[in-house]
Amino acid sequence: MTTKPATNLLTHNPFSIFGHFVIVTYKNVSSFIQLVASTMVQLFAHLPRRKETIQQLYFVANGSLWTIAFCVTFASIVTILESSFHMKIVIQNDSMVPGFASLLILRELGAVVTALLLTSRIGAGMAAEIGSMKVTEQIDALKMLGINPVRFLIVPRLIASTIGCVLLSIIANMICIFAAMIVADKFLGYPVGVFLTAMRRFVDFQDIVFASIKAFCFGFVIPLVSCYFGFHCKTGADGVGRATTQSVVFSSVAIIVLDFILSYTFSYFY
Amino acid sequence: MIKYKKLVKSFGTRTVLKGIDLHIKAGEIVFILGTSGTGKSVLLKNTVGLMKPDSGEIWIDGENVSNFSEQQFLPIRKKCGMVFQHPALFDSLTIYENIAFGLRKHFNLDETEILKRVEQALSLVNLENILTKRPGEISYGMQKRVSLARTVVLQPKVLLFDEPTTGLDPVTTNSINTLIQNLSRKLNTTSMVVSHDMQCALKIADHIVVLDQGQIVDQGTPKQLLQSQVPLVRDFLAEARDLL
Amino acid sequence: MKSTALFFNRLGEIMLFLKDVLTTLWVRPCRLELVMEQIWHVTVQSFPTTAMAGFFVGGIMTVQFSMQVNEFGAAAYLGGLATSATIREVGPMLIAFMLSGKVGAFTSAELGTMKVTEQIDAIRCLGADPIQEIILPRFLGIIISSFFLLTVGLMLSVIGGATLGVVFAGINPQEYVRHIPTILGIPSMISGLIKCMSYALVLATICTYMGYFTTGGAKGVGRAVVSTSVLTMVSIVVFDWGTSFLGQLLQSWFAVG
Repeated sequence: MTTKPATNLLTHNPFSIFGHFVIVTYKNVSSFIQLVASTMVQLFAHLPRRKETIQQLYFVANGSLWTIAFCVTFASIVTILESSFHMKIVIQNDSMVPGFASLLILRELGAVVTALLLTSRIGAGMAAEIGSMKVTEQIDALKMLGINPVRFLIVPRLIASTIGCVLLSIIANMICIFAAMIVADKFLGYPVGVFLTAMRRFVDFQDIVFASIKAFCFGFVIPLVSCYFGFHCKTGADGVGRATTQSVVFSSVAIIVLDFILSYTFSYFY
Repeated sequence: MIKYKKLVKSFGTRTVLKGIDLHIKAGEIVFILGTSGTGKSVLLKNTVGLMKPDSGEIWIDGENVSNFSEQQFLPIRKKCGMVFQHPALFDSLTIYENIAFGLRKHFNLDETEILKRVEQALSLVNLENILTKRPGEISYGMQKRVSLARTVVLQPKVLLFDEPTTGLDPVTTNSINTLIQNLSRKLNTTSMVVSHDMQCALKIADHIVVLDQGQIVDQGTPKQLLQSQVPLVRDFLAEARDLL
Repeated sequence: MKSTALFFNRLGEIMLFLKDVLTTLWVRPCRLELVMEQIWHVTVQSFPTTAMAGFFVGGIMTVQFSMQVNEFGAAAYLGGLATSATIREVGPMLIAFMLSGKVGAFTSAELGTMKVTEQIDAIRCLGADPIQEIILPRFLGIIISSFFLLTVGLMLSVIGGATLGVVFAGINPQEYVRHIPTILGIPSMISGLIKCMSYALVLATICTYMGYFTTGGAKGVGRAVVSTSVLTMVSIVVFDWGTSFLGQLLQSWFAVG
């Protein structure tokens, strides 16, 4: 089976490729901004649909809880072992490890891993769901019934995902710290008391606030990107697959870039 | 040519085929009729090993294929071409590559010979000048005909059609029915056609089988079926008679 | 209990599928140009994403480390620390997350579409083996190109880290680079590469499996894509831990021996 050649990229005039790229990007970005704007209007114009929002919250938070708990446990174990490895190289002992690892967990790991997992689970899920609604003309049916699809579909998902992501990241951070504590106790020889004292010296309350702000931003971005790709899904089984793929890719990239921007900004407040 | 003995197939708790006994002679055109969901397509898919029967036997050309492995089925499938309900063309290949796929796989031909055969197969289904297009660029009806050409080009001894004319315009439907007839008369191809279309079944079939609820309720030549007393067959016939 | 049984069931199916693919590779290998085509395809398609992810991951690590290193007055070690942490651990994992979204989801969507539109059945009907014709080239192509992409991503993460070190922490580049070799030893690099290799394998297996066994129309394709990316991420985290553990075991072995 051969695959499509890269649509004659090399045979075209580079200027026309660039122009095409600019036009397509401009169109996509402007319709994305349109979607975000109308979501914002709908978010504040009406009370959200309570039942749907709670259902979505259940789907987002409860559905992903175990996957996320499982993954962050492993991630935090690896993190603390790796930090100990590095500490031993640089300052010959690893006495700073508990504080260091818990900072890394709170500032980066907890929120980012949670958000990336949420992207692949609920982001892709939303894109697939809304995409297949679009393909089977259910969204047009909604419009015919005089229902605003943005209010009906996006707003509940947006609220649910934002709340869910903050809650999940708090839980994920807790689980991470516990896992790190256990590993420090069993493998690195730092009893829980020592771990907590070291942690107190490094971690401030503002770290927890910043972690929550990060989670809030990630949770806000995921449904917007996914719903955008869902709404612009092309027909056929092919289209739904592509919409889902694109939503995963774009929201993951968005999360990494956002994380970078937020980390950079917060670093001025420490 | 093809023989089914007590063929049973079920999905979960739902039994779709409940003991089919059927004998199809070489060179015949057999129409399999029935309402939706009575296991017509399942019967075809079992024949070429896309599904495995739960019990019973399938004999093709004197071989019992019911317990064949995927590898053993490959030569059988070269002998028995199947045309799917949906075109199932390979999206990533051109029309030419789609039709040439089987030729390249099974015959050691040079490029001019392949091109000749592909064009021949396309002219059989009344298509031309679409060799370099991709499946997405031609209409559904054309895709269906290309899919037919892809199967016919291998010159199989047995052709299985899964609703070849559903969703096509009357002109194309007619030409496909004529094609089935011609293949059978000229090349002595055996054809099994799953269809809802009683009218054309009466016109071109040598033998008609009516399935209901996974069982054969009646079978025979078109003439015999016209005399049938089975209610379902009479319903099917009533519609065809109205049109005639 | 039921979900546990389901999990092991799924795991067994994946193993059987992998066995099928590997036997096919051994008995009836596919044509080399098909593999090359896939490699080209996957690499070109995912290069920008991977490069960007790599750059930013390196940058994030530098920003985080510089704050803590400055507290100890060990700013000189920033380059070494950030690079080593990125290459040993964070880099492969986050870039592989990216790839699971890009390559994994794309491949399972493509194969899933072929499955639900009966194209895979059509291949079987034309007397060809779909595993040999379409699964194997993708499987090999994904392994090779994602390994390549991960490696490139890691290199870019070093560049990203250095850039941010200069911009953010005000270290000059020579200073940043000087301490990389003292901390980043050969074992660390090997450990990073082994991680990349194992993630590539996991990614290729899961996405071809999920795509090949898709059922249920357009919705089914969406479902396949979702479960591909979730399953890949979970397995990547588990493999991350597994390889780290193994690496530590080996290191302590060699230290003793």
